[in-house]
Amino acid sequence: MPRPPHSTVRNRLLRAMAPEDFARLQPHLDPLSLQLREVVIAPDAPVEELFFLESGMVSISTAHDERRVEVGLVGSEGLVGAVPVALDCLTTPQVYFVQLSGEGWSIGRGALCAALDESPALRRLLLRYVHTLIVQITQTAYAHASLSLESRLARWLLMCHDRTEGDELVLTHEFLSMMLGVQRAGVTLAIQNLEGAGRIRAKRRRIEVLDRAKLLALTNGSYGTPEGEYARLIEGA
Amino acid sequence: MPRYFFHLRHGPGPDGLARDPEGDALPDTDAARAHALAVARDLIARTQLHAIRDWFACAFEVTDENGAPVMTVPFSDTVTEDGA
Repeated sequence: MPRPPHSTVRNRLLRAMAPEDFARLQPHLDPLSLQLREVVIAPDAPVEELFFLESGMVSISTAHDERRVEVGLVGSEGLVGAVPVALDCLTTPQVYFVQLSGEGWSIGRGALCAALDESPALRRLLLRYVHTLIVQITQTAYAHASLSLESRLARWLLMCHDRTEGDELVLTHEFLSMMLGVQRAGVTLAIQNLEGAGRIRAKRRRIEVLDRAKLLALTNGSYGTPEGEYARLIEGA
Repeated sequence: MPRYFFHLRHGPGPDGLARDPEGDALPDTDAARAHALAVARDLIARTQLHAIRDWFACAFEVTDENGAPVMTVPFSDTVTEDGA
């Protein structure tokens, strides 16, 4: 597969960067496919490669035991590995794994760091992205501490919807139970509740988003802040 | 291993039952009951849902793969069972 021209990439960080910064990275971008549940960054292992996602989603989760709890989400707006590399930490205690298969571009840490050293504008862009991720994780903490499971599910579905094409999300209750850190029966009940109010339609292994405004009304402010920061700082909205 | 489905009864009628579409593979009915109680304890302790005012009014209606009822496990059994 040839290197991508700037005009055709879907990754929003790549799109947002200046043409000369994209030109610095472009020779080092290799196409990659992400397989469901694949661990792309393991805890405490040096991050040798980073991933600009074009589609799909990667979950940033706690890795204390077999019960992972998701704290952050990266899709085509992001760069998987940006936090440990842009902050010059080499490793992270969290686990990053593929939650929805997709495609993207990988880049070696050395090539990315060389470009960051050459271009203060590129470094600023990545640090701003790191900021939006910190804000997202802050909102996850708020949601876990303060909100009902219905609200947390609504937030998560909106975030997932932002990062997928179409309105149908392919998800099992078991998977959502892991993402939200609750028993599957709780997820099933929350889905029934959202469905009753016409916000979603649940099918076997699928959830269709019917009404974003109604989902948003349920999130108690937990959705929208990181998304707004991203628009303001990365895309200049 | 047989698969058991843990439907959550939280109110009257069909709307009061959250149907479990996925189920869990467990060795026998004793294991299914133990699983139901463990899940119920965790829900009671940690999960806040708009739809639920009182977890202790809920029950798991457990069915087998054919949808036949196996048993009902009231959440209140989490308290009485081990004398807690």
